[in-house]
Amino acid sequence: MSKEELESQLSAMFDDELPGEECELLARRLARDEQLRERWGRYAAIGACIRGEPGVRLQTTLAGKVSAALKQESAQNGVPATDRHRHGWVRPWVTSLAGLASAAAVAAVAILWMRSEAPALVAHNAPVQNPPAPSLQSLPATAPQLAAVSPAVRVHQSHEPDSYVTPAAVAQAPSLVPPTELANYIVAHSAYSGPLMRRNALSALVAGDSAAPQVNAQPIPAVVTGK
Amino acid sequence: MTADASDLSLVQRVQRGDKGAFDVLVLKYQHKVVKLVMRYVRNPAEAEDIAQDAFIKAYRALPQFRGDSAFYTWLYRIAINTAKNAVVARDRNPVDFDLDMTNNDESYEMQGRLKDSETPEALVLTDEIRTTVNAAIANLPDDLRTAIVLRELEGLSYEEIAATMDCPVGTVRSRIFRAREAIDSRLREVFEGGLGRAEEIG
Repeated sequence: MSKEELESQLSAMFDDELPGEECELLARRLARDEQLRERWGRYAAIGACIRGEPGVRLQTTLAGKVSAALKQESAQNGVPATDRHRHGWVRPWVTSLAGLASAAAVAAVAILWMRSEAPALVAHNAPVQNPPAPSLQSLPATAPQLAAVSPAVRVHQSHEPDSYVTPAAVAQAPSLVPPTELANYIVAHSAYSGPLMRRNALSALVAGDSAAPQVNAQPIPAVVTGK
Repeated sequence: MTADASDLSLVQRVQRGDKGAFDVLVLKYQHKVVKLVMRYVRNPAEAEDIAQDAFIKAYRALPQFRGDSAFYTWLYRIAINTAKNAVVARDRNPVDFDLDMTNNDESYEMQGRLKDSETPEALVLTDEIRTTVNAAIANLPDDLRTAIVLRELEGLSYEEIAATMDCPVGTVRSRIFRAREAIDSRLREVFEGGLGRAEEIG
């Protein structure tokens, strides 16, 4: 293609009168031919002069500025803007899936924790067998001593139930994750979990907390003495 | 394939990661976008900044462009919105003037004039360019001058110009090209070695 033919095509392209196929080829050429781009700028200036527009310039640096700004932006972000936006629709799905996975993992941990704690809780709530009361025969049969016999013994004597038992302060088996931290974890991930699941998990934790021993609490007497 | 289709082809190349194709789109529409923005701001330098922002926004939004409308229509909408937002932002944050300076009417008026136009050097250069172009147009043969004026001033298509001048479309294309070449040749003569200066001032 002669230079004149190329410039003629450029003039037609400038007027949006160049057939598309030729336009495509010329666009590629334009992208790498500085002289053609300068000529394009002068064509624009000629048109602006004819129309009497203000601020006529022979060369504009706008294309270079835009290109430089985009290069800088992609260098700062590491990924070109179009690539980020091209895959932008993926991000919400990935986030949602990750959130669901987190919620499922929390729920699984909570369920496993509750299951592992269940036998311990059952055992914990079971009546504690008090040590057998000494038989009357083995005790000295003195009046003061009889008076000092424990109420439990008196209960035994009257053929009433052995004892009313309250749960003893048995140290709870340590769980994998402290309940408070687990609750914080659930709350922190509450954006991704269903309300019902979250409530259930928290209820389980609260129940677990209420059953948990108080560290500084006094041990509860094994036998109710009042009767 | 029409101009819209060729734009779409360029857009698709950008969407596939060809940045050079976007450079071509900027080159193709930069003057039109700046001219459009000049309806909202009078300062050419500010208009160019806004146009730059508009092109960057367009580049970011290109992955969402599906070709439902022509690319330039879509680009013009972005440019208009960017210009409107820039004007609103500028009005919210007006330039502070020194209180002493506001009492000096002459200084205040000079600031306004510089804001509305450009530097004195740029103004002189614009006048030089305009004079050169007008002189070159005056020296053109009638058929070339009529063709370029109908195209640039009246905005007629090649087909409309062909109907007006009663000649084939190919002839119109050739006449417009030769008119541009004659004017461009004169510009290069006058500003030979001065184009770099024009770029600096611009």
